[in-house]
Amino acid sequence: MASRFSGALQLTDLDDFITPSQECIKPVKIEKKQSKTGAKIKIGDDGYFDLSSGKEQKLQKVEITLADCLACSGCITSAESVLVTRQSQEELLRVFSERKYTDTKGVTREVSLVVISLSPQPTLSLAARYKIEPEDATRKLVGYFKSLGADLVLDMTVAEDMSVLEAQQEFLQRYRDQQNDPSEKHLPMLASSCPGWVCYAEKTHGNFILPYISSTKSPQQIMGSMVKQHLSSKRELSPGGVYHVTFMPCYDKKLEASREDFYSDILSCHDVDCVITAIELEQMLANSSKCLSEIEGCDLDWPWGDAEKTGIRSHVGSGSGGYADQIFLYAAEQFFGETKAPVIYKNLRNPDFREVTLEMDGKEVLRFAIANGFRNIQNLVQKLKRGKSPYHYVEVMACPSGCLNGGAQIRPINGESGRDLVAQLQAMYTQLPLSHPSQNKLVKQLYNDWLDGKESDKAKAVLHTSYHALEKNDIALNIKW
Amino acid sequence: MAKLELLQSLSGHKGIVWNVSWHPLGKIFASCGEDKIIKLWGKEGESWSTKTVLVDGHQRTIREVSWSPCGNFIASASFDGTTAVWDKKSGQFECNATLEGHENEVKSVAWSPSGQLLATCGRDKSVWVWEVAGEDEYVCEAVLNVHNQDVKKVAWHPSSDILASASYDNTVKMYKEDQSDNDWTCVATLQSHESTVWSLTFDKSGKRLATCSDDRTVKIWQEFGPDNQEGVNLEDRESIWKCVCTLSGYHTRCIYDITWCTSTGLIATACGDDIIRVFKETDDSDPNAPTFDLIHTKLNAHSQDVNCVKWNPSGNQELVSCSDNGEVKIWKFTEQ
Repeated sequence: MASRFSGALQLTDLDDFITPSQECIKPVKIEKKQSKTGAKIKIGDDGYFDLSSGKEQKLQKVEITLADCLACSGCITSAESVLVTRQSQEELLRVFSERKYTDTKGVTREVSLVVISLSPQPTLSLAARYKIEPEDATRKLVGYFKSLGADLVLDMTVAEDMSVLEAQQEFLQRYRDQQNDPSEKHLPMLASSCPGWVCYAEKTHGNFILPYISSTKSPQQIMGSMVKQHLSSKRELSPGGVYHVTFMPCYDKKLEASREDFYSDILSCHDVDCVITAIELEQMLANSSKCLSEIEGCDLDWPWGDAEKTGIRSHVGSGSGGYADQIFLYAAEQFFGETKAPVIYKNLRNPDFREVTLEMDGKEVLRFAIANGFRNIQNLVQKLKRGKSPYHYVEVMACPSGCLNGGAQIRPINGESGRDLVAQLQAMYTQLPLSHPSQNKLVKQLYNDWLDGKESDKAKAVLHTSYHALEKNDIALNIKW
Repeated sequence: MAKLELLQSLSGHKGIVWNVSWHPLGKIFASCGEDKIIKLWGKEGESWSTKTVLVDGHQRTIREVSWSPCGNFIASASFDGTTAVWDKKSGQFECNATLEGHENEVKSVAWSPSGQLLATCGRDKSVWVWEVAGEDEYVCEAVLNVHNQDVKKVAWHPSSDILASASYDNTVKMYKEDQSDNDWTCVATLQSHESTVWSLTFDKSGKRLATCSDDRTVKIWQEFGPDNQEGVNLEDRESIWKCVCTLSGYHTRCIYDITWCTSTGLIATACGDDIIRVFKETDDSDPNAPTFDLIHTKLNAHSQDVNCVKWNPSGNQELVSCSDNGEVKIWKFTEQ
């Protein structure tokens, strides 16, 4: 299935991504008309034509949507080769110009507000590509989106912070549950923010692995709820009229945004309507012969009242959001009173699988790991299956080196090596101002004003999600020896 | 005249026999197939017979068996999506490790010359490298997704950890590990076949590779490494593999397997026209544009497709083959 995406999808020397691996098995309903003889079909430049009736009749193209892919177990896909009609740069530009969009249910809506949410990883990718400072890149991105017609361009620091805080609480709860009831699947808790990993787990390991995956929503989806529920009500807008776009480091985020779990029947809209990635943004700029560095900058918007403003921020730990480090530090403090636990990772078989332990009185009390890339996901899953996982928590990301090396980050240019580029992004990430989730004033405010307090039923409902195993249909139709 | 003399025809498998693999010393071999069992065959006096049958390792067809270089392990690749590793620590072969991860049918499995690595490939288009990490412990070192179709066969270079794979996408890919970060990457793509590449075999030196295809040709590829005498320009210091010979017009159907004898240098092929053919490099062959003669054609070697051929590694000119009709045959090649 070729789409306009594919040109940008040539992975260079990093081939450890989860890729589509099987023929599409989606059954397609064909409206059959009676005819005396067999059909005669002509292949034209612009489609297939049925000639049986004497005149050329254009045959309908089979369209496969993201929702079809999500509901199917036929292949494991990171969305890269799927026709992502609602998630493309063309669609985004169309919404900007027409100020209306058609949602997944086929309803066309007027757009009253276009909101863009920027995550740090693709912002750094563009900064590196156009050789400008991250802060400068952020301002210019705001300026670019505004010039296209965006009403608000926001940073996602608040959603990242909430995702970390919720994951920390969830870990505490799971750890206690494990002590009380070791027979259930509470630990290890596995990170949930990578949709590539979640999709793979749902499609191939189902109910065995899903109970371990953290129920905490990813920053993208928390931001989605904030924009569609909180922001729209603050502004007295219909949530369906708010078109929410996130700027992300991987295509898999498009799959995540399209999940039914993130469609609200009450608001009748998705939390995130369109995901645009670094690679696509580079293309958009190139298509309009623009260079990011020449675009006039503009400040990020701050529709959240008088709480202290943030911006593009880093978090303690990995460039994938730092979940392992922050949960480790929190657990060390909460359970063992260790306020300055050293977080020193030891590489295992490769630098993409590393672990960190906390020892108290010579005894190991916590063991966390970061497992990036498909090979390490495999080894982790096999350890779990054999009952040999020694971990309390694992930060799992489907891309080698994590989100800074996301599948839709801009590829190296001019013979630069992939590894050097990732190292550069990592260095840029650590130089960003650091966010301390527990001190974020806006987070406190949101818990109070919007979510009825921390650990309330509303907070649980809004900030957590669930996963669904997909049964495998083994069909022998397309066996090849 | 060269001849291929049938020493023995062995029956016992039910249904298609897909693959055979010699023990490194050439006194025993294993066979596998549609009946989900592995048979180990040994010689008593002048005749071959079943020594052991390995059962219950797989739920579906076993597509390939591979004997480890030390002779103590057998790996089997199955359509049930798993690769089983059998060892004889208990005195008999038992399955003590199962490698899971391929999404569906595993088509091929091969041990590296050191015995420390295993490669598998399959219908999910991926090639996996596994490392022996301890007793009954195998960890996944790499998942290589560079083919864009079904991967049919994997084979290791005879002396270094370079892996080659053949695919339905008409290409052969080679991989090696980057020592700086233990990451495996594709270092070469061999493109020339016009249809599925079914199998591949290195020569003794590892400087040449022979491939066979659904396009009814055999191709010989030669490595041009850094500082090669021929002046072949290498862009990034990685060896380049060039097709230096194409054997066409000999086979009338798809060629399923190929084996390059490490002692005689003879190449044998297994073909869908039920024929086993033997090729020999000519005496006046130019090293950079070699020529081969077809020196023997065994018509009706089997009554159906020949699926696999393997020269005995001892160099005694024995050849074992197997077929869709359930037969395994042992041949003796002589050249007068």
